[in-house]
Amino acid sequence: MEKALRQYVSKYADLTDEDLELIRTRIEVRELAKRQVLIHAGEQEQYLNLVVKGVFRKYFSKGRDEVITQLAKEGDLISSSVSFLSGLPSQYAIEALEPAIVYSLSREKVDELYALSPKIERLGRSIITELYLSKERWEQDHVQFDIRQRFVNFVHNNAELIQRVPQKYIASYLNIKPETFSRLKHLLKKAPLIATLS
Amino acid sequence: MQNQEKQTYWTLLHDFLRRFIDLSEEEFLQWQPYFELRHINKKKVLVHKGEVEDYVNIVAQGLVRKYMKVKKGDVTLQIAPEGHMVHSEISFHRRTPSEVITETIEPTWLISISYQNLQALYDKFPMAEKLGRLFAAEMYIIKDKRFFEILKKSTREIFLDYMKTHPQMLQRVPQKYIASYLNIKPETFSRLKHLLKKKV
Repeated sequence: MEKALRQYVSKYADLTDEDLELIRTRIEVRELAKRQVLIHAGEQEQYLNLVVKGVFRKYFSKGRDEVITQLAKEGDLISSSVSFLSGLPSQYAIEALEPAIVYSLSREKVDELYALSPKIERLGRSIITELYLSKERWEQDHVQFDIRQRFVNFVHNNAELIQRVPQKYIASYLNIKPETFSRLKHLLKKAPLIATLS
Repeated sequence: MQNQEKQTYWTLLHDFLRRFIDLSEEEFLQWQPYFELRHINKKKVLVHKGEVEDYVNIVAQGLVRKYMKVKKGDVTLQIAPEGHMVHSEISFHRRTPSEVITETIEPTWLISISYQNLQALYDKFPMAEKLGRLFAAEMYIIKDKRFFEILKKSTREIFLDYMKTHPQMLQRVPQKYIASYLNIKPETFSRLKHLLKKKV
């Protein structure tokens, strides 16, 4: 458990071994089968989860469609974060797309940790700031990039997810119609184009 | 500026901070020197594209908009009235060149804290850490709400909800900025405005 936790945390803060131990002893390890749901829409999110194995999708329903807002793999956080932070019912559902393992911290344990260590509180601030900047990033990307560029950028940054996640989910995440997605896939064969955007 | 007016802005800051943490009068007086009051004329750029954002700002009086320049023109990302925070977030936190521009719409008073002073505040006062965390959480919740609305609601719903929650904006903000912020075409926006008359 140490390794995945240490790796994640070190992106944000320089914690002592004691701080890491405080976190480690409060983690619940949860295993999910393929297609198993981590949280349904309408429930209150009780956990912050770090993906240790597997891929998840986070989505909401829009009429008969589903809109995917996050695809998470090993090393990513997945949680209905607004519900977790605000206590409101979740507007999103989260589902495992592969057999999965997550390290989970309950809301109570997270509050306990903040009270125990100022460094962990700082870690919390950094992680939440990161979540918030990712929303800003999403909006800015939608404003400044067209569909084709968003597709190419995604493929470039998430080569692995393309192999692991059904195409329709990636299309939904990128807010691209499935037909357009198929057409854009031909761009992949023209590798130099992708290279120029890196 | 009159000292009395300045005092009003400092009180506003104290009230703003108290929404997140308990901060006594004495404690607030220790924090206050880390902040500054800045007066900016109408239509002045606060941060240009390519500059590194150095401030977190709370609008004490006036209006600020945040936008991006893209091929099809300017796209407004935020219109911040009194009591709202506005700055180039990604640039501020990552210390990278800003991709967005912030600009005043009206003559504006800002309560600002620089990047350096904010780090110093975090180091000196453990409670600032909690403030930063709760504040980031609130900003995240607001952003997620906007994100959710863009993806889920119809244009008509987006328009009506915004007008309901921001009734004075039509008087204060050029219509094209609001239309851009709500991602509504100017023609559609004019048409939707008729809905407001019917409701009254």
